[in-house]
Amino acid sequence: MSAISAVLYREAKIRATNATFIFWDLFYPLCYMLVFGVGINAALGAPLSAPGVDYNAFFLAGVLAMASFGIASNTAWSFFMDRDNGIFYEMLTYPMSRSQYLFGKVLFNMFVTLLQAVITVGVARLLLHVPMRSDRWPLFLLAVAAGTVGWFFFYAIFALRMRRNDSFNAVTSIFYFVFLFVSSMFYPLEPLPRWFRLAALANPVTWQVDVLRYASIGLVSPQRVAAESAAFLLFTVISFALAIRALRQQ
Amino acid sequence: MSGFAIEVENLVKVYAPRGREPVRAVDGLSFEVKRGTIFGLLGPNGAGKTTTLKVLNTLLTPTGGSARVMGHDVVAAPVAVRRSISVVLQETATELFLSVRDNLLTFARFYGIPSELARRRAAEVMEKFQLTAESPNKVQDLSGGFRRRVQVAKIFMVETPVVFLDEFSTGMDPILKRAVMDLLREEALRGRTIVLTTQILSEAEELCDDILIINRGRQVARGDLHALKLLSQGVHEITITFEAIPSGLETELARLGALRVHIQQNTVEFAWKGEESLVLARVTELAKLGRVLRVEVGGASLEDVFIELMQKS
Repeated sequence: MSAISAVLYREAKIRATNATFIFWDLFYPLCYMLVFGVGINAALGAPLSAPGVDYNAFFLAGVLAMASFGIASNTAWSFFMDRDNGIFYEMLTYPMSRSQYLFGKVLFNMFVTLLQAVITVGVARLLLHVPMRSDRWPLFLLAVAAGTVGWFFFYAIFALRMRRNDSFNAVTSIFYFVFLFVSSMFYPLEPLPRWFRLAALANPVTWQVDVLRYASIGLVSPQRVAAESAAFLLFTVISFALAIRALRQQ
Repeated sequence: MSGFAIEVENLVKVYAPRGREPVRAVDGLSFEVKRGTIFGLLGPNGAGKTTTLKVLNTLLTPTGGSARVMGHDVVAAPVAVRRSISVVLQETATELFLSVRDNLLTFARFYGIPSELARRRAAEVMEKFQLTAESPNKVQDLSGGFRRRVQVAKIFMVETPVVFLDEFSTGMDPILKRAVMDLLREEALRGRTIVLTTQILSEAEELCDDILIINRGRQVARGDLHALKLLSQGVHEITITFEAIPSGLETELARLGALRVHIQQNTVEFAWKGEESLVLARVTELAKLGRVLRVEVGGASLEDVFIELMQKS
């Protein structure tokens, strides 16, 4: 446990040296909601997928999943920064296992996403009157945290296998495009073409967004949420195993 | 537990890059390192020194054989090995965005050093490494030499029984290098085992109690300085200072079979292998070329031994 807390402490120390980074990490989903969400909400001007659900309410789950996805990719990118500073290989000789290293690295960012979620939901309720089911807060926060962890392990596989950060940046750009847009993040899947819907249903982003949406506004059936939660858990376990393997092969 | 800090048996590491011939970087290496000694692992570039160190540091998995650090197997118990070691890698490794002080404190945290003790030690270590004035500054704002200081200073924050140093003096000025060498000797006297690799043989000559010379992943020679010098018996280090370097000196040195000739200003340094009784005759022959101000004759240095062994291997 002390090894994980040492990595967490290190991540926090490094992050604390950059105020812009902290500000953007904490407030970017909120900013996204206040600009993009409000814009689309006004443009659509009508309930989106269910009576009484406006775009802001619908998009809240999407924007927080996007934040998990973004923070996870930034955290994985920090492997390149550590490699450039030479500290990466030295850290691998510190008294901890490879899994403690990975968990410590993601834990700090998981706390950031939780704080980010609380701020986003709080301000969105206050300014945009976005509804939020208070009885499902624990599930909502769990989905935010699990999303960050799962996506970090996924991105870590690539960050640890790739030697060039420009290659990694190219891969993340593709992932952003495919995973975020072929999902239920920005729009309901029901009116979409069948091939699009099927692809989106196979996307772990959709699984996380659906759980968040179920926890925040009650959309999506409990059966589907249970299946998608299990699928996301499996995705996280497989990603973790592959990330550990990549780390051991450094 | 055995009296050895490190036990390596028939260690093999093969790199198999895709589409290229496999490289046997370490090829059946066996050695032990006694606790509380300063052990030097020497060899030319590509000899397998860093690979051996990386296996002992748990950064690489060996292809064959075994290696144990403080009784812990590097493959079966890597975390126990990591608890016993602190490492200075060849490349500069620091937390660039943290201050000098935070670099030391963060490192100590990984080894479970309580905060108060870590703060006290950080102050002492910064004093020893002349880093106190730089304490609040971010490492990214320091020169390469200072960054290296921070990196080496970290190992004095913890009390791991084994310390690995890969080319530790790179980028250090001579005064600091001497101070660090003194500190390393103190650490060895306190019972820590120091394992170092270096290309600067005078460093190894001065520091190491025990030396292993390797080439192409295999042992070439092993022993303390005295034992190694015996391998190069008959080699003499000769230094002659002339009033001015005479013409034809290099031709004459070549005729006499001088090894490793180095001429700087009015001084020539070279090694010569032969009977001790003939050394004076050779110096006299050279003295006929110009006015000699000073002559110095000594035994073989570690460098002579090293070069001879490399030529043979």
